[in-house]
Amino acid sequence: MTAPRTQEGHGSEQDTDRPVPVVVAAVGQGQRWRRFLVMGALFTGAVVFLFPFYYMVVASLQLSPNLTVGGAFPRPGNLTVDNYIQINASLNLWQSLLNSGIFTGGVLLGTVVFGVLGGYALAMLHFRGRGVLFSAMLLVLVVPFQLSMIPLYVLIARDYGLGDTYLGMILPFAINSTAVFIFRQYFLQLPSELFDAARIDGASELRTLWSIALPLVRPALLTAVLLTFIGPWNEFLWPFLITKQQAKQPLAVSLANYISTVQASTANPYGSILAGAVVLAVPAVALFLIFQRHFVSTDLGSGVKG
Amino acid sequence: MRPSRPSRRYRHGVAAAVLAGAMVLTACGSSGGGSTSDAASAKGPIKIWYSNNEQEIAWGQQVVAAWNAANPNEQVTAEQIPTGKSSEDVIGAAITAGTEPCLIYNTSPAAVPGFQKQGGLIDLSSFADGTSYIETRTGELAKQYASADGHYYQMPWKSNPVMIFYNKDMFTKAGIDPTNPQLATYDEFLATAKKIVDSGAAPFAIYPAPSSEFYQSWFDFYPLFAAATGGKQLVADGKSQFNSPEGLAVANFWKQIYAEKLAGNETHTGDSFSDGTAAMAIVGPWAISVYKDKVNWGVVPVPTAGATAAEQIHTFSDAKNVGMYASCTNQGTAWDFLKFSTSQEQDGQLLTLTGQMPLRTDLPTTYADYFAANPDYKLFADQAARTVEVPNTPNSVEIWQTFRDAWTSAVIFGKSDVQQTMTDAATKIDQLASQT
Amino acid sequence: MTTSATRSPVPRDHPASPAARGADGGRHRTSLFTRLFGRQPIGILLAAPYAVFIAVIFAFPIGFAVYMSFTDYYFTAPGVTVPHPFVGLDNYKTVLTDPAVLASFGHIGIFLILNVPLTVALSLGLAVALNRAVHFRTFFRAAYYVPYVTASVAVVAVWLVLFRSDGLVNQILGPLAPDPSWLVNSTWAMPMIALFVTWKQLGFFILLYLAALQNVPKELYESASVDGAGAWRSFRSVTVPGVRQATALVLLLAIVTGANLFTEPYLLTGGGGPDGASTTPVLLMYQQGIQQGKPSTASAIGVVLVILVLIVALVNRRLTERSER
Repeated sequence: MTAPRTQEGHGSEQDTDRPVPVVVAAVGQGQRWRRFLVMGALFTGAVVFLFPFYYMVVASLQLSPNLTVGGAFPRPGNLTVDNYIQINASLNLWQSLLNSGIFTGGVLLGTVVFGVLGGYALAMLHFRGRGVLFSAMLLVLVVPFQLSMIPLYVLIARDYGLGDTYLGMILPFAINSTAVFIFRQYFLQLPSELFDAARIDGASELRTLWSIALPLVRPALLTAVLLTFIGPWNEFLWPFLITKQQAKQPLAVSLANYISTVQASTANPYGSILAGAVVLAVPAVALFLIFQRHFVSTDLGSGVKG
Repeated sequence: MRPSRPSRRYRHGVAAAVLAGAMVLTACGSSGGGSTSDAASAKGPIKIWYSNNEQEIAWGQQVVAAWNAANPNEQVTAEQIPTGKSSEDVIGAAITAGTEPCLIYNTSPAAVPGFQKQGGLIDLSSFADGTSYIETRTGELAKQYASADGHYYQMPWKSNPVMIFYNKDMFTKAGIDPTNPQLATYDEFLATAKKIVDSGAAPFAIYPAPSSEFYQSWFDFYPLFAAATGGKQLVADGKSQFNSPEGLAVANFWKQIYAEKLAGNETHTGDSFSDGTAAMAIVGPWAISVYKDKVNWGVVPVPTAGATAAEQIHTFSDAKNVGMYASCTNQGTAWDFLKFSTSQEQDGQLLTLTGQMPLRTDLPTTYADYFAANPDYKLFADQAARTVEVPNTPNSVEIWQTFRDAWTSAVIFGKSDVQQTMTDAATKIDQLASQT
Repeated sequence: MTTSATRSPVPRDHPASPAARGADGGRHRTSLFTRLFGRQPIGILLAAPYAVFIAVIFAFPIGFAVYMSFTDYYFTAPGVTVPHPFVGLDNYKTVLTDPAVLASFGHIGIFLILNVPLTVALSLGLAVALNRAVHFRTFFRAAYYVPYVTASVAVVAVWLVLFRSDGLVNQILGPLAPDPSWLVNSTWAMPMIALFVTWKQLGFFILLYLAALQNVPKELYESASVDGAGAWRSFRSVTVPGVRQATALVLLLAIVTGANLFTEPYLLTGGGGPDGASTTPVLLMYQQGIQQGKPSTASAIGVVLVILVLIVALVNRRLTERSER
């Protein structure tokens, strides 16, 4: 018994674009009205949401800063990619991107591998210390970074001797507790019939984990990846503390350094700050666009019918 | 089904954390430091940090290259750290972890008391020629950088005497003569500022940062206070000095500027002088390289209550110094390199490459050629002889934060009475300054 | 109709569950073994990496912070020994009688009251809508996610420009604009931060809800509509209970993020706002602990904050899990 089967008779469940109709019995006019309203609200919301980002992109493309209302609709003559060229010239973009990739990749790896195991154990298994571990996870979520910053730095840089290393950068973020929480919640809400059936068949816990739980965890995995990605990608303070060698600094740090020194040399320092932010944001948005396609219903409930 | 017992779980969690923490704590002992006498004469490779703006990088690279060429067995490795908000935090954390370098060419005098309290700074006076070198190079001004015990824990390096830049084109547009801009006394300054804003030449007359970071008062209150009192510091001998008629006059001057919207009270992104938002700026000579192509600028000393001769006006130094830090093992080399990098020749390089004023005696004579070639900077060189530093007192950062909080409340946002707020702040600051 | 599909944690300790047998077979050995290690001791193995991670990375700093809050402590260079006298509850007394600290907790309260309900309502509503809309679905999802992904530093700069006294928003509002403009207005500063953070974090929560919505079986909707329920009724009776777990998570994370607010007040209102109207506890912890070298009082603030948040989180848990039993 592996993946859940789709229920017979529901036609094209595989079609990812098919909306979930709330009112099956189409009332024609009413449904179209409602859909129009929903689309309208969504569109307005999207415009409001995107506007600051749009403003950011536009401002980063300007030759001389135009901070008035008209700045939102720039004259073609005022547009330039100078700010981006400047960034590329001032910092080693590819090296920084690579460092960011290693940092974020390490965190994702740790979270996906050990976080899933931990979340599964916390959700499904009874073992000594489960309550303590859950409380500890909650505590880690709640405690702000500023409280632990200096002792953490002393621990990792001095006691573990990991200053100026990738491992030192990754370590405090290695297993994202929010992701563990998400995995735990996800496993908790899986129908227990799936697991009971496995137990009745005499499967060991490991077997259950491998054959049933893991194949099902994909939606939670996607969510966790998308959410865990942002933290290390945008993180400035910790990598900055832990490494001074420019060759090892991730993009967020290089950009922050650049921002603090860019005032003097460019025509539009404001624009170059924003150009930096756009550069930092683009890979994250791209990743999201790739992954979000997979947010579709998995027909989990119907799989239980066995 | 039993309901969850959250309080017990919470206690479990905390107990676990504290227990584990205690175990780890006892397990890792602190590493002992080396003996001072050996370290003071030890020679070998060292590491330094300097700031990462373009000009200072240029200076840093050439001084390191020059030294390394002459001293193959005592190589200097350099790394950059940004001068921004977080650099003191990073240095403090590095001191705690023992990962800071031998020398940091970016040490803020306001942070020195804190670093000293941490045991992070090496007493430069412990070197045989320490005190004499510092006092010979820097002269009278060096006294401001000595710590309470009379020893020097920092080497005065460079200053940026704060003066008033003004935009000549905007002044012309407002109908003010750009060669004689009427900015010498508070009354004149206010009148000129009003004229600029009323005429529409610029949205604001001047725009110091209105935010609440502890160091922002160095660029609105402190320069004028130094000028008004002929060189007094915020605190001296454990007592506040700003709660005086002169200090209150400065506060009321700024209060009027904010009240009449001659300066903005919202955080401005970017430089307000170079993007044309303000007609004046209160800043030091490092800004010249920023403004030179964008603004047709002129410069005058900060205003005083009554007319004062320019040669007698003091201002804030905005200095950055060099510190030698506790984790340094090859202190002999570090001291030699420090002397090398603050020699007359290297100071000249600093001046040429960055335009910032070395904290030395008699700059105009020593570097007469440079100032002949760059008359823009001559005014700053003269001013550099009369600068006031932040007081070297315990709890220095907290004192400035307390002052800043009082300032934003009473002066920038006009929420409270100036006299009362300043008196309250003075009481608190007296307490902080007299702690050991 | 599979009713149990959306019901969450069925207790795993079913009396009839054969999993109680564990690795070995005998019942008497199972009880001792079970009492020592729990019914599924393999869980210790699976959770071990995570547990070790927490112990190795966070136990020391958190424990140390608690320790610092009870002593007169400041950080020193290695090899420098100074006395760290135990001062009992002095730091807590100082902190809890400091009007600035109390004000900062008040600001967080305002923030949470504004931000949390708005976040839950908006993110659930938008997630439901984004789960359905056909055209431009990718565009919409990306639009709501983009603010979350952008670094605060840059986005704050844009907001500062938009909400200046002569900024776009005030130009549109005209005479309705508040007089000290938004971010420098003592009344509006904290609500503006709440708005900013809601806007910025919404993508995260929408994502959580989107994922949760995938697990609400379609049959429930269909049976609801067969029973004659309209869209709103369906939403209330099917969707909302169906994502209860996600709501609990969203509430918890929104509260924790709100309580630990630091970057936004620091950047958006210049480190404390007009006359300190938008200070937060973590901002004060940063100022005192890191800038001013007083980690003992900073830790005291931190411990108080953590305790308060845990209380709120537990209350939240009680409220959302009442129907689970």
